[in-house]
Amino acid sequence: MIYLSQLINQNVWDGFGNIVGKLEDILIDATERKMPPVAALSLKKNPGGFDFVPSYQIASLWPSITLKIGSDRIKPYSPSGHELPLLDRVLDQQIVDIDGRRLVRVNDLQLARAADHFVLTGVDVSGVSLLRRLGLEKVGRFVGSIFKKPLDTVVIPWEFVASIELDDPLRLSVSQNKIVKMPPADIATIVDELDRHTTTALLEGFNDEDLADTLEESSSDLQMTILSNMNPERAADILEEMDPDEAADLLADLPNATSQILLELMEKDEALEVRKLLTYPEDTAGGIMTTEYAHVPDNLTVHEAINYLRQSKDALEDEVMYYVHILNQDNRLQGIVTLRDLVMADPHSDLDQWKEPDEIYVNPLTSEKDVAYLIAKYNLLSIPVIDPNNNKMLGIVTVDDAIDILLPTAWKKRLPRLF
Amino acid sequence: MKINRLQGWMRRIGLYLAILGPGLITASADNDAPGIATYSMVGSTYGYQFLSIILVVTIGEIIIQEMAARMGVVTGKGTADLIRERYGVKVAAFAMFTLLLANLGTTVSQIAGIAASAELFGISRFIAAPLAALIVSFAVLRGSYKYIEKILLILSLSAISYIITVILINPPWGEIVKALVAPSFEFNPKFIVAVLATIGTTITPWGIFYLQASVADKGVAIKDYKYTRFDVTVGATWGNIISAFIIICTAATLFVHGISVTNAEEAAMALAPLAGNWANILFSVGLLGASLLAVSVLPLSTTYAICEAFGFERGLNRKFLEAPVFYGIFTIIIALSVIIVLIPSIPLFPLMWVSQFLNAILLPILLILVLKLANDKHLMGKWKNNLLQNSLAIGLTILISLITSALLITSIIGIGS
Repeated sequence: MIYLSQLINQNVWDGFGNIVGKLEDILIDATERKMPPVAALSLKKNPGGFDFVPSYQIASLWPSITLKIGSDRIKPYSPSGHELPLLDRVLDQQIVDIDGRRLVRVNDLQLARAADHFVLTGVDVSGVSLLRRLGLEKVGRFVGSIFKKPLDTVVIPWEFVASIELDDPLRLSVSQNKIVKMPPADIATIVDELDRHTTTALLEGFNDEDLADTLEESSSDLQMTILSNMNPERAADILEEMDPDEAADLLADLPNATSQILLELMEKDEALEVRKLLTYPEDTAGGIMTTEYAHVPDNLTVHEAINYLRQSKDALEDEVMYYVHILNQDNRLQGIVTLRDLVMADPHSDLDQWKEPDEIYVNPLTSEKDVAYLIAKYNLLSIPVIDPNNNKMLGIVTVDDAIDILLPTAWKKRLPRLF
Repeated sequence: MKINRLQGWMRRIGLYLAILGPGLITASADNDAPGIATYSMVGSTYGYQFLSIILVVTIGEIIIQEMAARMGVVTGKGTADLIRERYGVKVAAFAMFTLLLANLGTTVSQIAGIAASAELFGISRFIAAPLAALIVSFAVLRGSYKYIEKILLILSLSAISYIITVILINPPWGEIVKALVAPSFEFNPKFIVAVLATIGTTITPWGIFYLQASVADKGVAIKDYKYTRFDVTVGATWGNIISAFIIICTAATLFVHGISVTNAEEAAMALAPLAGNWANILFSVGLLGASLLAVSVLPLSTTYAICEAFGFERGLNRKFLEAPVFYGIFTIIIALSVIIVLIPSIPLFPLMWVSQFLNAILLPILLILVLKLANDKHLMGKWKNNLLQNSLAIGLTILISLITSALLITSIIGIGS
């Protein structure tokens, strides 16, 4: 990750390795709300005479600030008035929440290389960045490790920091608890647009759970890069945190030897689930199903069923739990109760009277397209997967996985996000 | 016509009363336990000699406080806010760390001052110190600031006891006037230390932070700035008149008998046989009032500044959970100070010394930062320092820096002591 504080006052080199000046500030194009691109570098007044270098002439920012061209070919940049100088106007400024309460100050600014340009990704508000600027990062991490409290980086995405046309302080556009944890899908979007090196650095600051959530939302390409650059123990921990179906997909993409090593390192129960899923081809119901779904034994009352669910591990891990599946002793599906009916029903009534006999199901080898088609056709939220040989229930395919099949990942990202 | 003018006057007085406070409170809190100790020390050691220095210090305090108050009104921000925004993390962290340590030491002296004055009234310090801390914390944390400010202003009236003492002692006024008109200085390390102590107890880093923050929080409009300036001037003058009276008080009694004291409770006790028991009581009332005032203001100002520098929610009108860092630091400073005072074997003197030392280092640095900020056109616009303000303030900063570095050098190579 590139931090503004590490760039300020550094030498700026031209394409031939001559010093052009020192970096005074970075101007971003404030009209772009989400990830504003760097518009120009502002240099300290130097004998050469130019103050601003346009962004398209920058070759790199980190580890050294280098321009693409010789100093004689720098095209002076003339500000258009939409630029925001980061050091002058953003760094160290106060951030307040929607209600005007002071939260914290901007401790640093995170920049990143997108495909061919540099962008501002977010505002670092964590203590780590404060320590880094004081030159005490290592000390801080050491103290943190003594108390078993690793220091987390907390970054507020730039788009949540309301427009800067208004003077200071910077006002957040979402409530505080929303920003402490960036939604995984959002992180994934940002991460997909960054270069690999930056991404790995960014994700290293995450804890296992957050990283697992983010990886689930990322492209398989990126998933592989990240996992293969990680030490195997951590990778296994992260796979455990992921949903078994997502973990299985990921492992299927990795070289066989690697995935075997990772499976060995995972906890037994989790590994078993994943192994089961791995036996099915990737583009079938078995390949995309999850084995964590809510189920209850038959012959219960509504009240008992709800109690059963509360202590059931599978129900706990069911991502959404729209449907509760009634299974008999042999794990055969007897019917489905919607969560709505379960909640509305008289607690002492028989669960069986609320069940809908389930006639729509697929077998593990049904192609994923057909699964998606069935889900769409019958407006289902999930569909059971049943072993055709012994009629045992294996898992469910949820509607969100079906959408992934119908809408290629790229399109999914362009849909308006609802939050 | 007449009625209109009267109404105008009434409105102006009303406005002044609303804006009044920060300047008077800051100046009164300067006459806190270490302050009284310093004045008693110089009064009992050098007689009336320091009265002319108090005169100079008054002008210096007005110049510095006026800059801070002006910045508060113009920018609506505290000093720590501006330092962080203009000079970044390193400078802000250094200033806050030093301020915290220095003020922790000073808060300890306030609690010790409360304990000492309570003991002069025959109340055990094990009751007085925790009780005072509880009352202060409760009042400061639970009350609204408006109402606390009124209590603080009433506390500052306790200083009148020194004026009464002086009137009762009836010192030789002719000598006093002579000392004021014809100043005399000595150029030896001990005298210079005393001068620095006098400056350091009057022009304080926390005073600058407190004044600017409370002026900014009052949201004084720029057109009403003249009232704030009046408040600052009156406050500093009043505070230093009190300092002068403490000096006169000890000079007229202790100095003439050749008794040199080093702290306030010594002074109070030594006064009794020379000036009568009432002098002892009056002196103690002043000490108690000023210590209570300072123990309310000092931790508050420290906490305020730290929260400003790091951007945490601060302010008394927030609930505990809305400003956990603010309340946390405040409570820790007070609790720690009480504990330190109550541990029997802890020698307080080295602690005070460290605290004064840190303040002495912080003050010139802070003055330079404040000077630069007050001259920042971007920040202050047409309200930036004018030539007169600059020459006085720069002169004072250079003077303080010189004395401080002279003191540091002598104490390092061991000439001073």
